[in-house]
Amino acid sequence: MSKKPDLQTTIGGLALQNPVMTASGTFGYGKEFESLVDLNRLGAVIVKGLSLEPARGNPPPRIVETACGMINAIGLENVGIEAFIAQKLVFLQKLNIPVIANIYGRLEEEYVQLARRLDPLEAVAGIELNISCPNVKAGGMAFGVDPAAAFNVTQAVREQTSKPLIVKLSPNVTDISEIAVAVAEAGADCISLINTISAMVIDIETRRPRLANITGGLSGPAIKPIALRMVWQAAQAVQIPVIGIGGILTAEDALEFLIAGATAVQVGTANFIHPRSTIDIIDGLEAFLEAHNIATVSDIIGTLEI
Amino acid sequence: MLQHLATVLWNKKAGPGYYRIGLRCPGNFSAAVPGQFVMLRLVRRLDPVLRRPFSIHNLVMHGGQANGIELLYQVVGKATTLLSQLKTGDRVDILGPLGRGFQLPSGAKKVYLAAGGVGVAPLVFMVSYFRRRPVDLSQWHIFLGAKSREDLLSLDVFSTLNIPLHITTDDGSAGEHCLVTHPLETTVEQSPPDLICACGPPAMLGCVADIAERHGIACQVSIEAVMACGMGACLGCAVARRGEPQTYLHVCMDGPVFDSRQLKW
Repeated sequence: MSKKPDLQTTIGGLALQNPVMTASGTFGYGKEFESLVDLNRLGAVIVKGLSLEPARGNPPPRIVETACGMINAIGLENVGIEAFIAQKLVFLQKLNIPVIANIYGRLEEEYVQLARRLDPLEAVAGIELNISCPNVKAGGMAFGVDPAAAFNVTQAVREQTSKPLIVKLSPNVTDISEIAVAVAEAGADCISLINTISAMVIDIETRRPRLANITGGLSGPAIKPIALRMVWQAAQAVQIPVIGIGGILTAEDALEFLIAGATAVQVGTANFIHPRSTIDIIDGLEAFLEAHNIATVSDIIGTLEI
Repeated sequence: MLQHLATVLWNKKAGPGYYRIGLRCPGNFSAAVPGQFVMLRLVRRLDPVLRRPFSIHNLVMHGGQANGIELLYQVVGKATTLLSQLKTGDRVDILGPLGRGFQLPSGAKKVYLAAGGVGVAPLVFMVSYFRRRPVDLSQWHIFLGAKSREDLLSLDVFSTLNIPLHITTDDGSAGEHCLVTHPLETTVEQSPPDLICACGPPAMLGCVADIAERHGIACQVSIEAVMACGMGACLGCAVARRGEPQTYLHVCMDGPVFDSRQLKW
């Protein structure tokens, strides 16, 4: 029997046993999935977006389902950085896989403070900068749709930490390459994309939006072709690793992103639909590589034929 | 909490647009308590893509062990339409049991159950659960309200019990011609219970909570919310918490059964 394919990959200096991570906001703080998923098999866990202070989130309704997808306007409800460190990290640091903290702020200074707080923590393997949430009123996506603002916040955080720094990009832009280049030049170690696509649904009987926040972020299989196109564009624009996100449900979906140029992937909405999605994707990747006689996952990354 | 590939045992019409589906689950639901729910997924479908929450209506007992669950549901959209088309032997993906159920305080002897429409679903499990235990149900009352005679569900279950049953319909086609909260309040005034447990539409639950509050009676309500995961990850199922403005509880983890005083009505 042939040797098992090697799934190891590296993102910005961070070695992963496989390229499958959990997307921020879809996997809680990891513990929620403990009884359903062998967490130690994951490439990495990316936790719910953290802010300096605990955040209560938006009023309900916060979620509406659409064709092959869902729109959420959670509003980045989270326990806050201090409670995360004191309560949530205790469980996470017992795992044998990298834990990546996702952070967001309304002001550049908040991102800076968050990065400074996380930098000395051994239990945090990397930082993902959320400059792309469509559901918070100030900040959030505002940093992700302007190349200059994206550059500045990335550079300011870069100065605070030597940890692998991922910048998560918004798809709600005209030219994704421009933003990708800006954050790469500012010192990001990798980029991850896409965050959710700004969207809405109207109740025709009441003529009111179905979300209290009026608009929200579309995710799920509906957005995969858009995500794939943007990952492909971004991968051509920058030299740093690209992490593909957007509607990945199966190993076949993940493979499309890898072929388009992603070094790793994040699984999001699929965690809600099928909590074991990540594990099935890892097994499926291995099976695909084995069936195609491909020795390592890196041999398939960026192999799109045009 | 476990994920199970369940097999459809039956999927029978229970009224116009209402069905009962029996599911054999490899996991053990013996530990499930009334008021808990499951997240059900129609396998291999991308539309609808999310799971749907359903209260456990009853356990399927086999040789003294629970080897499955029964759900009572109303066809309201795409997912429940597809669910109603499933046949014996088909498979569905079940996550559960989830959430916090009804809690019977040790001193509570007199318990009033109030159900509106398909909200009767968890209360059937409640009654059958406590009948299997050394709990005296002789002072319990059941209040069942529905739009019309044909929307009164699980009457057969309740009528075999030796528990007073108060029936109301919105159109007067069966029982009293009024809302279910009317006989509830009258009975509460005559003989205050130790606890009210209710499940039904939001307006009815608000009214039940108000009755309980005015009479100083403990009240537990089972509420419904749109949710994506059912396990505290998506944070989609927020409900307003009483007391502190703009603070929320989550139906999947803090509920779906709440002390009515926890919620902002």
